[in-house]
Amino acid sequence: MKQLYYKVDKCLGCKSCEIACAVAHSLSGELFNTLQEEVLSLPRKKVLYYKDKNYPVSCRHCKEPKCVDACMAKALVYDKEKGMVLHDTERCVGCWMCVMVCPYAAIRPNLKTKIPLRCDRCNDKDNPACVEACPTGAIIWQEETGLRV
Amino acid sequence: MRQFVIIGNSAAGIAAVEGIRKKDRNSKIIVISDEDYLSYCRCLISYYLAGEVKEEKIFYRPESFYKDNNVELFLNKKVSRVEPKKNRLICEDKSIFGYDCLLIATGARPKFPDIPGIKKRGVFGFRTLKDAKEIAGVLALTKTACILGGGLIGLKAASALKKRNVEVKVVVKSKQVLSQMLDFEAANFVLRQLEKNGIEVIFGQDVSEIIGNGDIKAVKLESGKVFGCSLVIVGKGILPNIDLIKETEINTNEGICVDNLLNTNVSNIYAAGDCAQTLDVTTGTSSVNALWPIAVEEGRIAGRNMAGENISYDGSLGMNSLEVFGLPVVSLGIYKIKEDLASQFEELKFQDPKANIYKKLILKDNLLVGAILVGDIKNSGLFLKIIREKINVTSFKERLLKDNFGFPEIMDLVNARSKLYV
Repeated sequence: MKQLYYKVDKCLGCKSCEIACAVAHSLSGELFNTLQEEVLSLPRKKVLYYKDKNYPVSCRHCKEPKCVDACMAKALVYDKEKGMVLHDTERCVGCWMCVMVCPYAAIRPNLKTKIPLRCDRCNDKDNPACVEACPTGAIIWQEETGLRV
Repeated sequence: MRQFVIIGNSAAGIAAVEGIRKKDRNSKIIVISDEDYLSYCRCLISYYLAGEVKEEKIFYRPESFYKDNNVELFLNKKVSRVEPKKNRLICEDKSIFGYDCLLIATGARPKFPDIPGIKKRGVFGFRTLKDAKEIAGVLALTKTACILGGGLIGLKAASALKKRNVEVKVVVKSKQVLSQMLDFEAANFVLRQLEKNGIEVIFGQDVSEIIGNGDIKAVKLESGKVFGCSLVIVGKGILPNIDLIKETEINTNEGICVDNLLNTNVSNIYAAGDCAQTLDVTTGTSSVNALWPIAVEEGRIAGRNMAGENISYDGSLGMNSLEVFGLPVVSLGIYKIKEDLASQFEELKFQDPKANIYKKLILKDNLLVGAILVGDIKNSGLFLKIIREKINVTSFKERLLKDNFGFPEIMDLVNARSKLYV
């Protein structure tokens, strides 16, 4: 299964990925209209700066996810085939247990909608929006096994 | 083929079934529950009472779970005692179950204060789906409710009732709400939020009597003051359900004592969840941390160890997340420092009352041991990791409460397998 990786030496911290992510998850899917929407679409990815480098942070879909264990509403399930934590927003009550236990602080509480936001790898699209938006190729979308460090 | 028996069908019991089945697909598993429902999300009963979660969404696993995992489930059956020497347990209805390996995951029950009228119709605990259904059943006739206790359960019940247009008064013995998870200042943020939403909180008082012939008419406070209400919900803490082993050689304290493998002092009996007492990683003492995520962790590890693995539990800690009419609140580990020990600890604080934000971190010898986060909880998981992994924060202490503090800053200090950057 494909995973998201980051070459931090290439990341300029331009945050194009954040914007692309918010737009991709908006109702309209288009920048200008996204900004007009009643509930502002928020990015599921954050670029953080640390010691001269930029680090995009988003859900890593851990194989032993703490958030799934902590979810008291059974809104989170780890799907082995997809290698992803799936979030059933219909069941989610916004208790923030998942936010409380995520060791990467990669789940973002959307206080307006009372729904936590996390990377869904743009679900069924071939390429996640952040990968397509990144101007320097710092975000890599590839099979786990093919990774060469 | 062995026979596993699990007493309890909630967070720890279900996690244990999954833990056992990871390794052992064939042995028999029997689950015994004194409740009448398939496993449900206990923490959602307040949402159910508020009308925000429908019954079909409250179940924790699909109905097929038991069949898929080859589990024989007995509902509405209470185990009255365990006989470790005979490897069997006896139920109230006199039925007997033998086991090769037993998990006690009996949870806890609400503590009821010993006051006149506490047994009257209309006085409820708030622990089970049955409680929630019974309370929901009397709401049509309820104008005012009184909640005993300002802890998590009391406040969740209060918020739910308010959402159902019931007037709510919360009676709290101490000087603050949530005294088991927040300091006084943080509690005041929560209090303001409750008051803004029409919930009245009375401090420094206990209810001394529940008045009424048959149905409840009023409650009387210690001060002598009386106010009318027809529903009382008790949220004065919980007691681990350990009566079933009281007369055995299994060691108990507040809860059932277990080692790092979740094993009791009897080698084929394990305990997990709200009835078990484990090492608290922030205080270093053995405590009952009766919390859903902890029960899941413990249940899973107990199950795997019952099936022959040898997995060590690194300990529990108090942690809770709560949402009060839109205000998010998280508490981790040590949240209040006793005055005589103040010199051993260091506090870092940030607050912005206008934005409803209050953040406090508690450190000891440059290790994070506790956190309170109100309004801005986004980094709570990072703090939890720093607490659990006992990461020395000296080099980035002043950055901890900054808005842009994040995982990259602790990346080099955590377990290597957490690194994913190339």
